[in-house]
Amino acid sequence: MTCTETRDLFSVLADDALTPAERAALDAHLAGCADCRRELVAFGRTVALVRAIDPAHAPAGFVDRVLAAARPEPWPRWLARRLSAPWPTLPLGAAALLLIAGLAVLLFRASPEQQQTARDQSAPPGPAAPAPSRETAPSGVSDSREADASRDAGASATATREVAPAAPPAARAPEPPARAGDVEVAKNRLEQAAPATKSAETSVEPTTPARDAPPAEPRAMTDRQSVAPSTALEGRRANGDSIATDTAKASRLRQDAAPLSRTGPMTGILAAPPDVTAQLRAADVSVAERSLIELAGRLGGRQTGRRIDGGRVVVELAVPREAYAQFVREATALGPLSLEQQTTDRLLLSVAVTVSN
Amino acid sequence: MREALGADPPGLLERLRAGDARAFEELVIAYQHRVFGVALRMLGSRAEAEEIAQEVFLRAYRAIGEFRGEARLGTWLYGIASRLCLNRLASPDRRLARGDEALADVAAPTPDAAIAAERAELDAALRAAIAGLPEDRRLVLVLRDVEGLSYEEIAETLAIDPGTVRSRLHRARLQLKEKLERFA
Repeated sequence: MTCTETRDLFSVLADDALTPAERAALDAHLAGCADCRRELVAFGRTVALVRAIDPAHAPAGFVDRVLAAARPEPWPRWLARRLSAPWPTLPLGAAALLLIAGLAVLLFRASPEQQQTARDQSAPPGPAAPAPSRETAPSGVSDSREADASRDAGASATATREVAPAAPPAARAPEPPARAGDVEVAKNRLEQAAPATKSAETSVEPTTPARDAPPAEPRAMTDRQSVAPSTALEGRRANGDSIATDTAKASRLRQDAAPLSRTGPMTGILAAPPDVTAQLRAADVSVAERSLIELAGRLGGRQTGRRIDGGRVVVELAVPREAYAQFVREATALGPLSLEQQTTDRLLLSVAVTVSN
Repeated sequence: MREALGADPPGLLERLRAGDARAFEELVIAYQHRVFGVALRMLGSRAEAEEIAQEVFLRAYRAIGEFRGEARLGTWLYGIASRLCLNRLASPDRRLARGDEALADVAAPTPDAAIAAERAELDAALRAAIAGLPEDRRLVLVLRDVEGLSYEEIAETLAIDPGTVRSRLHRARLQLKEKLERFA
């Protein structure tokens, strides 16, 4: 075997893939050739250097951003983005809604004809009815279709439709408290597209939203899939927004909402009992809670919920199976940790940590 | 080097095809680091790598119905990532001043300043040497020595024969060795 032939085998040698015959020939040559031995050492060092490069980790929040981009944007979120476009944050958009509602009340009070109309109308609402009923519709079907329709119709048409319920006040309950309630509903919907949002938010027991959620989830998912995801993406690109901006906003919106009310894949996790139940003792509960959430995020998982159980905070997390050992190691550093694990083959472990001091 | 790719998570493909709500999420979770990793090492910018990695999963999401299961999910995703990276690298408007971040996290921190400086110099040289490889060789090198794929998996990922994998990899390593000669 020549020196060239020998050196051509170095890569296969480094990958431990030589046939026994090749190996024997290589060894025989190396035994008598100092040059090739030196070359082999240098070659081996180079390969070792490259292999010492740490495998990269996707940035925290990557999974959420992909999921947000993969699914058509629900129309309330789309509307929220429209409303908040001239301003930096959502609360201003919500404030605008409040302002519109407030003005409507003032106008209504100022108009005796309208009050008379309201008194005459004891029957359910007329022309404005479809919009509010759509707002409270629990099904994902109408939402998804509305989303497309809204996108097609463009900003002005949708804005008109959404503001409409407030404009002809006679059609809706005229008292200011009711009006405020409506705005609250609208605000909730801006923050969250979940059909089961309300029930999830008002309950602190994990089982209640869990029972409510499953029937809605598969349907919503199917509907989201039935709308070509590319349409949403291209539409948003056409709007001149980058995906990154959209998803950043979307995640901000989600952060504004109560953790239990999170949509989509979250619901599935809530529906099942946790794979791991843990008790963490820490001097500062809120610091430990934040650290756990940050830790889950850093390991490619995230927070899925939060509740109070017997006066103690329970943080619900989704942790990738591959990062679970790391999660336990780092969580132990926060304080004494006890764990109860169930066998599961899921890739995303559901972890409920009770934090107390 | 990353741990071996291994078999697909059991049942995941079937659940993806059936439209299981959580299956796609599990796919992203299971392969996010691998897909992001190959994009980062090829493109050198974390922002650009994330953009490409997102696109990989979105394409997979749209195309899962057409995936016939001849390859594994892992090599399929690596394949999409590889194509998107090569396309991106070939695009004329891509800025040249990329690559600084590609290996930014190569070195483990060391307490000794002199060793750290030496290590930093070596890392810089390694970074430059890898960035200087022809793209097809760099891709094979990254898939093998950083991402830990076998020759067969790389052949499956890139739809080339194992002999081509072997020769590209060998040339890439030889080229690196020459560039890093002075550190020997």
